[in-house]
Amino acid sequence: MAEGGRDPLRYFRIEARELIDQISAGVLDLDQRAGPEPVARLLRFAHTLKGAARVVRQKDIADRAHAFEEVLVPHRTDEGSLAAEEMRELLRLNDEIASYVSALEKPAEPEKAAAPPDVPAPESDPEPAEAATHRASTRDLDELLDAIGETNARMAPLRTGCSTVERLHRSAVNLADQLRLDRAGTTTAARAAAERLAGELGSAGRRFTDAVDQIERELDDVRAKAEGLRLVPVGSVFTTLRRAVRDAADSEGRRVRFVSRGAGIRMGAHLLGPVSGAFLHVVRNAVVHGIEPEDVRLAAGKPAEGTITLEVERRGRHAVFRCVDDGRGFDLEALRSTALARGLLPSGGRPPDTDELLRLVLQGGISTSPSVTEVSGRGIGMDAVREVAVQLQGEVAVRSEPGRGATVELVIPLALLAMTGLIVEAGGTVATLPLDAVRACVRLSPEEVTAAAASGRLVHEDSAAPFLPLAEALYTGSTVPDSPGIGAAVVINGDNGVFAIGVDRLAGTSALVARPLPDLAPAAPVIGSVAVDADGNPRLVLDPLGLADEVLRNLRGGDRTAAPAVAEPLPILVVDDSLTTRMLERSILESAGYEVDLAASGEEGLERAAARSYGLFLTDIDMPGIDGFTFVERTRADPKLATVPAILVSSRASAADRDRGRAAGASAYVVKGEFDQEQLLEHIRRLVVRT
Amino acid sequence: MSRVSVADRVARLRDDFDRSFADPARVLDGEMVELLAVRAGGRPYAIRLDQCSGLHPDRPVTALPTTVRALIGVAGFAGTVVPVYDLAGLLAHPVPQRPRWLLLTTGEPPLALAFHELDRHLRVPVTDVIGGSADGDRKGCLRGMVRLPDGDRPIVDVTAARALVHQLAGHRPVPEETR
Repeated sequence: MAEGGRDPLRYFRIEARELIDQISAGVLDLDQRAGPEPVARLLRFAHTLKGAARVVRQKDIADRAHAFEEVLVPHRTDEGSLAAEEMRELLRLNDEIASYVSALEKPAEPEKAAAPPDVPAPESDPEPAEAATHRASTRDLDELLDAIGETNARMAPLRTGCSTVERLHRSAVNLADQLRLDRAGTTTAARAAAERLAGELGSAGRRFTDAVDQIERELDDVRAKAEGLRLVPVGSVFTTLRRAVRDAADSEGRRVRFVSRGAGIRMGAHLLGPVSGAFLHVVRNAVVHGIEPEDVRLAAGKPAEGTITLEVERRGRHAVFRCVDDGRGFDLEALRSTALARGLLPSGGRPPDTDELLRLVLQGGISTSPSVTEVSGRGIGMDAVREVAVQLQGEVAVRSEPGRGATVELVIPLALLAMTGLIVEAGGTVATLPLDAVRACVRLSPEEVTAAAASGRLVHEDSAAPFLPLAEALYTGSTVPDSPGIGAAVVINGDNGVFAIGVDRLAGTSALVARPLPDLAPAAPVIGSVAVDADGNPRLVLDPLGLADEVLRNLRGGDRTAAPAVAEPLPILVVDDSLTTRMLERSILESAGYEVDLAASGEEGLERAAARSYGLFLTDIDMPGIDGFTFVERTRADPKLATVPAILVSSRASAADRDRGRAAGASAYVVKGEFDQEQLLEHIRRLVVRT
Repeated sequence: MSRVSVADRVARLRDDFDRSFADPARVLDGEMVELLAVRAGGRPYAIRLDQCSGLHPDRPVTALPTTVRALIGVAGFAGTVVPVYDLAGLLAHPVPQRPRWLLLTTGEPPLALAFHELDRHLRVPVTDVIGGSADGDRKGCLRGMVRLPDGDRPIVDVTAARALVHQLAGHRPVPEETR
């Protein structure tokens, strides 16, 4: 970070990367849906880039951004789409700018940075540059984390200082007492001085301790957030894949739509890089070998435009990448004959079934394409996915339905997982539960505990959820220190309905990054992973699936209860400028079964509220732009929105603010400091509009 | 009386000091072995220092529910989560007391061995170490003895202890055999 001050391009690199990403996505948007709005947006990005490039004397980039604008300007008010050669020119300029920006991002290769390629190859793979960005930002983050760690370490002497001041305070108090009691001859002045000293030391000590407490809490928070930043949203590689689909479709003369899902899932850049590299091949394959020419599709009764869907989802500690196309499926005949010709199948034996043939595809070295084209040979693509699967300890599956399409699925374990955890204490152990699995927390009276422990069931929302004290699931064989006994139950969503665990105490929530248990520490299945707390000590993260198994096993095959079905509430809109609050509220609401949309400002909230029917607004008060009071007032003034109840959530706790909220038209007011999940959900259950 | 003895002692020390320059170096470094004298589960052992990469007292260990008895839990070392195994447990004489000392071993993956007491650091001539065959009763974690004035101590072979841990943890392709 030290060289940052001497590098004039440092911030330009970041901004240019962001703009070129937006331009790349924008061009593809424009390609699919023309109109003045996407043109205006692209013009804005190109103009910003041109200006920024001129400031740091990057003439090559500025000139191309200018040329880019020139192509777009005539279409400012056009509803129609751009001519094919204009689109091609935009894509060419986009690639050129991208390669200049990438060259700037590689300071390690000065000759390349000094003389960027005159004509960058249009097929040049933007992926390495993207990976480089991820790596660079990971390095920045590592430095940041180190710096935070360093600062954290400096807290120790401060702590010692606190105790020193406290000790000095006590001696001063003693001294003052002695002066008062023992020595008749001591002067009043000396006694007064000692008393003053004791008083000052006392208040200094308190201030000191308060400050240290606060810094420590904040550092803890900052550290957790920085750890979370290490992870990259999956959406950051979607543009590259989408562009690959477009280029392949262009060169093959196909019409293909690219659909992506799961952009918000975050994972380590070291995972995302290789996976997106392999999926570049997979999506190209899907276009080249999967999607049929238009006339063939129409003749088969399919829409003229093919669809390639890339879905990413989180499944427990795994991420699933799935590429689905609606093309012709794998050419099983060609596979069979290739396999026979290569001696991969026993000749004269039973003809292999579809699954066996697809397994051969996974084993590699086989392509269904009669010729390996410039864009792809299917076998090479599958080899790339297989290699990534081996490298990341994942699994690949291939499905194909003749005439209907093919699916390639890669499942990889996630090494690091950012989550919000619910901290629980049970039998002297502190453990963390992923908050998104938690359905509710309930306080239990001693009688309820006895009943639940005896029957193995806990009545929750009119159903009897299987129940197990967590201390039993976590028993490590050592003596358990005195613990207060079960005081609360956590109700958890399991695959087979809800279940509950008994804990001594709920100790709040915290952001954490969970990592796999170390190699030589095989743990019971109730433990999913481990996180490191601010003091550097490991904290166990419970696995809801493992817990569910343990709870059910304990019930010895008792009947299972499914989560009770409820009437359909409309989605809830959360408006808050703090990412943390948004995510926390979202996970609370989603755990309670609500669909949630997010807005980061009052303005965005109004925009979203106008676009969709909501069952409830949950809004913060203090936000840049219009505040929560105004948001509530404006929605009350709009006849279409006035029927949607609004709840204010704020750290402001004064009666005046509550009154103002009521006056604005809010149906409830929840104070963040005394944030009670159950109380919030109670308000929502009462207020939310249902279909 | 005491004055004489002090004068004598000073003279002797001076002679010793002077003579130390005249004497040839008697022992080369390569002929010495550095050991830690430790106590695990109440029994004395020695561990070769060159098989250790760190020694930490009173480190918090997070207990882990597991079927591997010798695995006490995990501890954090500079951001890395390291499994902690009870040395007495690995040597098949576990005691209920929590070990106080954690010894980080060399090699991969990270592994810490826990023992109860650290007696002292030893630097002994290599001739005082008597190489021995593996002691079958103790799962082969002991290799040889060191001869000391206060009695002989068996030497814990960290490499062999690590191999045992790998086997217990199912880290190597060894059938699940956790006890």
